Amino acid sequence: MRIVDLLDAHRIALGARAKDKSSVIDLLVNLQEQSGVLSDVQAYKQAVWDREAQSSTGIEAGIAVPHAKSDSVLRPSLAAAVLQQGVDYGAMDGQPSDLFFLIAAPADGELHLEILSRLMQLLMDPSFTQALRNADSAQDFLQIIDRFERKTFEEPEESASPEQPEESYRVLAVTACPTGIAHTYMAAQALEKAAQQLDISLKVETNGSGGAKNILTEDEIRSAEGIIVAADKQVETERFSGKPVLFVPVAEGIHRPEKLIRQILDKEVPVYHHAERSSEVAVVDRAGPQESWARMLYKHLMNGVSHMLPFVIGGGILIALAFLVDVYDPQNPAGFGSNTPLAAFLKTVGGMAFQFMLPVLSGYIAMSIADRPGLAVGVVGGALAAAGISFTTIASGATPVSAGFLGALLAGFAGGYFMRALRWLCDRLPDSLEGIKPILLYPVLGILIIGAFMCLVNPLLGALNHGLVAFLNSLGGVSKVFLGAILAGMMSIDMGGPFNKAAYVTGTGALATAAAAGVASGAIEYQMMAAVMAGGMVPPLAIALCTTLFPKKFTSDERRSGAVNYIMGLCFITEGAIPFAASDPLRVIPSCVAGSALAGALSMWFGCSLMAPHGGIFVLGIMNGKLLYLLALAAGAALAMLLLAALKKDIGKR
Amino acid sequence: MVSANVKVTNPMGLHMRPAQLFVREMTPFASEVTIVHKDRTINAKSIMNLMASGIKQGSEIEIRCEGQDEQAALEKAVALIESGLGE
Repeated sequence: MRIVDLLDAHRIALGARAKDKSSVIDLLVNLQEQSGVLSDVQAYKQAVWDREAQSSTGIEAGIAVPHAKSDSVLRPSLAAAVLQQGVDYGAMDGQPSDLFFLIAAPADGELHLEILSRLMQLLMDPSFTQALRNADSAQDFLQIIDRFERKTFEEPEESASPEQPEESYRVLAVTACPTGIAHTYMAAQALEKAAQQLDISLKVETNGSGGAKNILTEDEIRSAEGIIVAADKQVETERFSGKPVLFVPVAEGIHRPEKLIRQILDKEVPVYHHAERSSEVAVVDRAGPQESWARMLYKHLMNGVSHMLPFVIGGGILIALAFLVDVYDPQNPAGFGSNTPLAAFLKTVGGMAFQFMLPVLSGYIAMSIADRPGLAVGVVGGALAAAGISFTTIASGATPVSAGFLGALLAGFAGGYFMRALRWLCDRLPDSLEGIKPILLYPVLGILIIGAFMCLVNPLLGALNHGLVAFLNSLGGVSKVFLGAILAGMMSIDMGGPFNKAAYVTGTGALATAAAAGVASGAIEYQMMAAVMAGGMVPPLAIALCTTLFPKKFTSDERRSGAVNYIMGLCFITEGAIPFAASDPLRVIPSCVAGSALAGALSMWFGCSLMAPHGGIFVLGIMNGKLLYLLALAAGAALAMLLLAALKKDIGKR
Repeated sequence: MVSANVKVTNPMGLHMRPAQLFVREMTPFASEVTIVHKDRTINAKSIMNLMASGIKQGSEIEIRCEGQDEQAALEKAVALIESGLGE
């Protein structure tokens, strides 16, 4: 149990300011909380205070070692702080304390005693405490501890954790994609396979829809040569501060795993520095230094979309079920979906989920941009956009016109960047106001600003949104079919990338707007959704058919995963086609786009409509024009398959 | 110099709170107070030294006192350790 292993750069605050014992404890507990070692922050803080009540943990020579054993501590951890000016901590020698180590230990065991003992042996050396007080960075602070630990306990210079050699990896990786169903795991698999071929130890953390799995530990991060972050959404990168980190889109992890690993091994990757703020929990710039502006925007957008999706899917399917179980009453077409109590229940609950869609979208976009302070501002902005509040509607009582999802997107980005600007401005305020920034200044000023902003732009966006819907509604005959072709074709251009998501957001956005407004089934909005889904279902289906009917054109591995694509396609998980598209993009993608476009166009032409945003074959029961929709899908899949078969050569002839 | 052997009874050993109590109670004595534990000699009037020693429950320690009030100091120290230092 080494002290450096319990401590981490982001749990060290140097040159911190605190006015009394209470604010020091707040500061230290905040640092401790950041690394997720506490299950209940309040309970832990209470335990620290209970311990202080018995007798102060301030010892002597300016050193204090607050500590608590608690059930709320998940794993042992240290936090440290050096204050600019010592505070009265009730130390035994009556001197002010300025060097703090906060120990968090699980309730069972004598671990905290061992930590205390080891720490004390180090702290007895005045040259050690002096060096700590003069440390100019958290890394420096850690290095000093490391050096003195080696010296005091005569440990060997090379500490490649000899007790657990199997737990150290040369390269680490994190994979994540907005939906978190397919890309995340495909990238992880590709990286692991490449590492095996290179004979490199590698561990991959997957941030999928079910939460992070196979989480990288601090020890692993410390001993790794570098970390690959292959992600299209925000992942926790603060823990990688001080290590070489390679930021790439998740697709890179799938396509070029070997190259990425080599870049780490060849030390071509710059060291990542997380923006460090000693006393603030949230940090502004979480993104890597090498990311392009457009990619940053895409990442923020995807953070919003991925958090919004559960609301869209849950709410949408419940609403769809409401229509499915309801009895259509020709006298009251607008009431369809809530005529029977069961339908009304499903529709109400689903509708409630939909109400959160826009605030969550904008809230998480803003949070991606400005971290935690952005969330509240984005959520409020999104809610104002959804309600369409403007100065005119407030003053005159006129009926608000919703700014729709376009307004929510704007609210998210505007809110996020407003908060960044606000934080930048607040940095210029005296440090004595530091404490009230996150609890008072950010929320009050941020929400005020986004409120005024949304009231100004809502009327414009409301008009634009209505104009678009009206325009789409006015598209008849050929142009409607064209729209279907465009939407569906976009779905398979990048299968989960920006084109795909743009089409999908358009489809689900139209669906949500119409459903919220009570538009009856069969409307153009629902037809768009059906076309979008057809476009997303075609690529995996086409590939599955092709592997079955033209096995000579595929390797045995491809043929096996081809079969899985039947299921993926039927469930509307376009991502299943990606390995094929990745290995042979110039043949696979045009074929799929053509097939998807045909399916989308036919679906629109047949007037097939869908009132659920997801579900594939499982929502066929609630569709209008079921058989024709299947026909459209079959035609699209067949076209894509034939094109693919024509373009692809037999394996032996390559 | 006088000395005595005692066994630490605190469930968690001489962690910070009992160590603080021990140091506070022993400070008024003029004698030098040292504890010998696992061949190490510890200044028992320094909280840091005491805690750094990491003395656990069941440890046999030798308390040594040297000075004009060494007998009283030793009796006090033994009584403190044997009483479990308030635990």
